[in-house]
Amino acid sequence: MIKLRKIILTIFSLLTLFGIFLLGLLIFTANASADLTVKSNHDHIKIDFFYHGSTVSVKGEADPGTDLVIKITSPDGHEVLKQKGKVGGLLWMNTGTLNFENTPNLYSVHSTKKIDDILSAEEMEKYVIGYPALSRHVEITPSSNEAERSKWFNEFVKYKVSSNLYTSSYGRITTSEQGDKQAYYILTAWPFQAPPGDYLVTVYAVKDKKVIEQAQSNVNVEQIGIIKALAGMAKNNAAWYGIISIIAALAAGFGVSLVFGKGGGAH
Amino acid sequence: MNFMYLYLPVALTSINILIPVGLGLAVGLLSGLFGVGGGFLMTPLLIMLGIPATVAAATDSNQIVAASTSGTYAHWKVGNVDFKMGLYLLIGGFIGGLAGVQAIKFLNATGNADFVIKMTYVLMLGIVGTYMFIESLSSMRKSKSQESETGLKPVCTESCMTRFLKSLPLQTHFEKSGVTHSLLLPLIFGGFVGVLAAIMGVGGGFLMVPVMVYILRMPMHVVVGTSLFQILFNCIEVTFLQAYTNHSVDFILAVLLLLGSTVGAQIGAVFGRKLKGEQLKIILATIVLAVTVKIVFELTLTPSLLISQAGGH
Repeated sequence: MIKLRKIILTIFSLLTLFGIFLLGLLIFTANASADLTVKSNHDHIKIDFFYHGSTVSVKGEADPGTDLVIKITSPDGHEVLKQKGKVGGLLWMNTGTLNFENTPNLYSVHSTKKIDDILSAEEMEKYVIGYPALSRHVEITPSSNEAERSKWFNEFVKYKVSSNLYTSSYGRITTSEQGDKQAYYILTAWPFQAPPGDYLVTVYAVKDKKVIEQAQSNVNVEQIGIIKALAGMAKNNAAWYGIISIIAALAAGFGVSLVFGKGGGAH
Repeated sequence: MNFMYLYLPVALTSINILIPVGLGLAVGLLSGLFGVGGGFLMTPLLIMLGIPATVAAATDSNQIVAASTSGTYAHWKVGNVDFKMGLYLLIGGFIGGLAGVQAIKFLNATGNADFVIKMTYVLMLGIVGTYMFIESLSSMRKSKSQESETGLKPVCTESCMTRFLKSLPLQTHFEKSGVTHSLLLPLIFGGFVGVLAAIMGVGGGFLMVPVMVYILRMPMHVVVGTSLFQILFNCIEVTFLQAYTNHSVDFILAVLLLLGSTVGAQIGAVFGRKLKGEQLKIILATIVLAVTVKIVFELTLTPSLLISQAGGH
């Protein structure tokens, strides 16, 4: 009987110790992540009838003396694009297709200073920060050598920049001392070209050319109302969508004809 | 929120309302004037505005349904639609279109599609534009010197070609156009235009109009009405197929475009009746030649972007 009590007491003591250890761990990690915080305001963007892009502000707190990099991306995907080349040394034409794998559709990087000055090349590559790092992350086929690969990646970035889907800036993040913390804030334009989906905002606190901490937040873009209904119908009820489009066009054509006919357009 | 902009649910982009309405008005005007759908002008313009190539082509077909309904109705009211001729051209065009789609599949498989498409564009537009321009210029000069005002019919000489055409079987009279031809003629030439239109990814109005004027010898004003009638049915078919198989018709963009194009087509039809056949032809020839020059520039100047979306030409 005494032996059983001893066993129960031992188990109880062990459990208590384990509980204390867990609690300690929890407090420790909570303190660690509390050094860098991130909040994206306007993180649920609704695409309605009159949508023409939006703005997203990212703010939070970081340790003083750290530099910050804010990266906004969509999940990696793949894109198939046409490549142009000279045929017969004279005419510019589509000469084939290029497959881009592991490419985010949206890629936006903002930093307190020039990225090359605050992060080492290894760290940039590890966290896929900046176009050179993204270039090594992306797979391009077909590309026979590094020079060709680099050429097509640069063209890809030019193409994305022209649609406002790839952006980069430095010095636009404002920071201010708040007690023993550094508050930061940036307001970024959200392009209307960014399709519905989930986007990830990652803030990196940087010191001595290394990422010392990171925090994440989300931005969700969603179609609503008539836009959602039409996009859904175009995909899910394609036949009816086609018929309705044709009937609407016929009705519009006849309607305008009748209005003009009454006005004495014909003779 | 900006009420000047509307979001396009299929193109997944936002556009200033005035741009598609204005574009629709301009292209609808050409449609009512010359009996062309205007796809060879509208689709590249929409792509320039950031609309994905597949959506631009499909949505343009949808708006042409509206513009050509409006235009056909306006021309029908004044008796300028030859339904019989239109029907035979339509049958020929439909069969030619099917053959053209197979030709494109074959060219895509061999990797030569883009070269053939671009060359067909330049050659067809160049030849048609130059021929129409020279022919209408000389007939304008001729009618001036003879002080004749009957410029509606092209000058018809009894050449070997016409004798050959008259020797073909199944001769029938097309009352509205006032011409007698073998039934095979609209079927064959409709088919020929159908093949080229499918290869080039356009409705083919700018090819059909010269065929009707120079080969079928129809009066210019009946040509415009009949061409629009034929385009209407072509575009109904294309709109449905694009919506059903590619999900690429943007309803809101189509509505914005047709707001302009239906009105433009009516104005074009009214304005066209005030112009002579030769004048209409020379203006159309000038537009066709201008588009040819634009394509030649595009082909020879270094593009600003060396990659583009898949799906368009």
